[in-house]
Amino acid sequence: MKARMLATHVALPVLAIAAVSAQAHAADFDWMKFKGKTVTFLANNNPVSQALLTFKADFEKLTGMTLKVDGYQEQQMRQRLVTVMNANSDEVDVFMTLPSREGEQFAAAGWYADLTAMAKSEVAKDYEPAGLSQALLKAATFGGKLTSMPMNLEGPIFYYRTDIFKKCGLEAPKTIKDVEAAAEKIKACDSAVTPFVSRGLKPAVAYTFSNMLHNIGGSYIANGKSNLCSAKAKEALDTYSRLLRDFGPPGVVNYSFQQISALYRSGRAAMAFESSNELRTVTEGGARLKDTGLLPFPAGEAGQVPTTIGWGMAVSSHSKQPDAAWYFVQWATSPEVQKKMALQGIAPPRPSVAKDPEYRKWIDEEPVRKEWQAALDVLATKGSSEVGYPIVANPESREFIGQAVQDLILKQKPIDQACADADKALDALIAQK
Amino acid sequence: MSDAAATLTQDRQKLEMSALSAPAVIFTVAMIAFPVVYTIWLGFQTFSSTGKQSFAGLANYSKLISDYEFWHGLWVTVALFVLSLVLQLVFGVWLALVLFHAKRLPGIVRSLFISPFMMPPVVAGMMWLVILDPSLGAANYILQSFGLPPSDWLASPTWVIPTVALIDSWQWTPYVALIVLGGLQSLPPSVYEAAQIDGASPFKTFQRITLPLLLPTIVTAAILRSVDLLRFFDIIYITTQGGPGNASNTLNIYGFRVGFEFFNIGYASALMLTLTAIVFGAVLAFNRLRGAVAWS
Repeated sequence: MKARMLATHVALPVLAIAAVSAQAHAADFDWMKFKGKTVTFLANNNPVSQALLTFKADFEKLTGMTLKVDGYQEQQMRQRLVTVMNANSDEVDVFMTLPSREGEQFAAAGWYADLTAMAKSEVAKDYEPAGLSQALLKAATFGGKLTSMPMNLEGPIFYYRTDIFKKCGLEAPKTIKDVEAAAEKIKACDSAVTPFVSRGLKPAVAYTFSNMLHNIGGSYIANGKSNLCSAKAKEALDTYSRLLRDFGPPGVVNYSFQQISALYRSGRAAMAFESSNELRTVTEGGARLKDTGLLPFPAGEAGQVPTTIGWGMAVSSHSKQPDAAWYFVQWATSPEVQKKMALQGIAPPRPSVAKDPEYRKWIDEEPVRKEWQAALDVLATKGSSEVGYPIVANPESREFIGQAVQDLILKQKPIDQACADADKALDALIAQK
Repeated sequence: MSDAAATLTQDRQKLEMSALSAPAVIFTVAMIAFPVVYTIWLGFQTFSSTGKQSFAGLANYSKLISDYEFWHGLWVTVALFVLSLVLQLVFGVWLALVLFHAKRLPGIVRSLFISPFMMPPVVAGMMWLVILDPSLGAANYILQSFGLPPSDWLASPTWVIPTVALIDSWQWTPYVALIVLGGLQSLPPSVYEAAQIDGASPFKTFQRITLPLLLPTIVTAAILRSVDLLRFFDIIYITTQGGPGNASNTLNIYGFRVGFEFFNIGYASALMLTLTAIVFGAVLAFNRLRGAVAWS
């Protein structure tokens, strides 16, 4: 796991080289170089792409290119991508990708164009590739090849109701044990609210559970074998499922971000462990803007090891115009565009944007936004991109993690059997070439 | 014109007609045949997680036999099929009788009752997901207001199959009713007049006359619904994604995930071809039944 740990203070040579080379080429850079071409962008229709595409006309004006957007919901976008890439089709030039989920798989399949050279040879003066989160760039580098450029920074964070905590005489939790104690107290103090909610839907569990596992000090793999039956991993499975079973809403096994946000925003949950991306959905224009506190998920025995991921923009290896496609990627991940996106609540993957006066003004308008930014700073510096098993079959591994958690929430298996069944299936996945 | 010349002209006309329609026929056959043949070919391939492809022979089909998820998916598919079909046929016939005898504003009554099946399944799934939410949904609110205990509905491994069957039946019972209504309207009135003269009660009339005469129509409705029910996908995908656990993981959902989430297109093709064979088998069985219950 340590190999996948992200830390922005660990400098990466990749972008440092790129930064030096970029200055050498910046003088020759011409945004109009590919005027008249059409770039096709396969987008996941989520808040990140929605914020980006608000400025689509700016890109077309700047470059003289036409941007054709092929937008779908996340699952449908992947289906489309699988079909296109398996057919070796050049229909898609640029696509959105989650390196933490499919990075290993897509890189091994050869679906990503190598951006390392493009980031060196075709860079505008103000692009500042070295200003992008080194942690996210590292997470998008496979076999020494840079496969995507980060669009945002996100991870699960801890939302809690300051008014309910005050009413029940509680302090903001510092540890996982504090969370459990708070849930117990809230259950007795205010029976109208759900004390704690997080993801229970099978494929969605790994996103939040990984943070719990790492905070407690567990790991997914040890000595090349699945490690869910280790003492630490069993503690994480037990704690996560117990919190949801004893203090979560009925039907939590079908809960993903939509249900969690709806429950919390409506005032019916006291604590929610959900994505930083949900800030706007949960707080803006509603009562939660004033009574929500935000933290990185409280520490376990191993301290705080938050999950930090981000959507990236990749160029298809089958694109017939990777250079033009790179211009779009570069524009979309430039400081100027990322600042505009940040003002729409998309956490910037550039520390410089996070310090921008205009962005700071937006942050300083509300205490909850300040706490959100403080939590994101912790994610950026201490985060791990390990969501599920760091193997090619990562998406499938998430199923078995989710199954083990659901088995415990629903009391369908004792913990030893749940983790053993999961380990058996996961060992088979790890062994896959 | 001699007979020989006339025959020659007719043959030529036939040839010309065949030539003119050939492109459309070839196109249609190709559109049907290509996906089927391609899927059969994919079923003999294996794809690694990275998309690398190689010939696998019958390995995908032999894997089915020892795959617990396949047998579980088959069980879930059959359970949903049987439960939903029974509900839809029973309530479909009942609804058809109600609509047949509706005297006041029959047009409005029919439009109102058949409206659910005009709704896209995704919309129906989203609507029921909200209604059945154990915390925020109206269903539990109504139960509790009558002093009844709340249910976990779609989040309960025990209740998820009956709940999904109820959602599907809510949507598709009117469709069955519409087919049965057409059958009711075509029944000969003379048989009913004879029954009335003989003093048959309404129940006996239904049991001895209406139901037997309607059977071919009911079996036709069963065939049409069977094809959809065995391929159950959209409502489950929207509401549970096969969960909780794998409690509602039908063969179709399982095949979809294997293909598009885990990228094992070869095994997914084998799964889907097996499901297609099951659908064909069911249709053939119902067709035989329809032949057996047809009026002489």
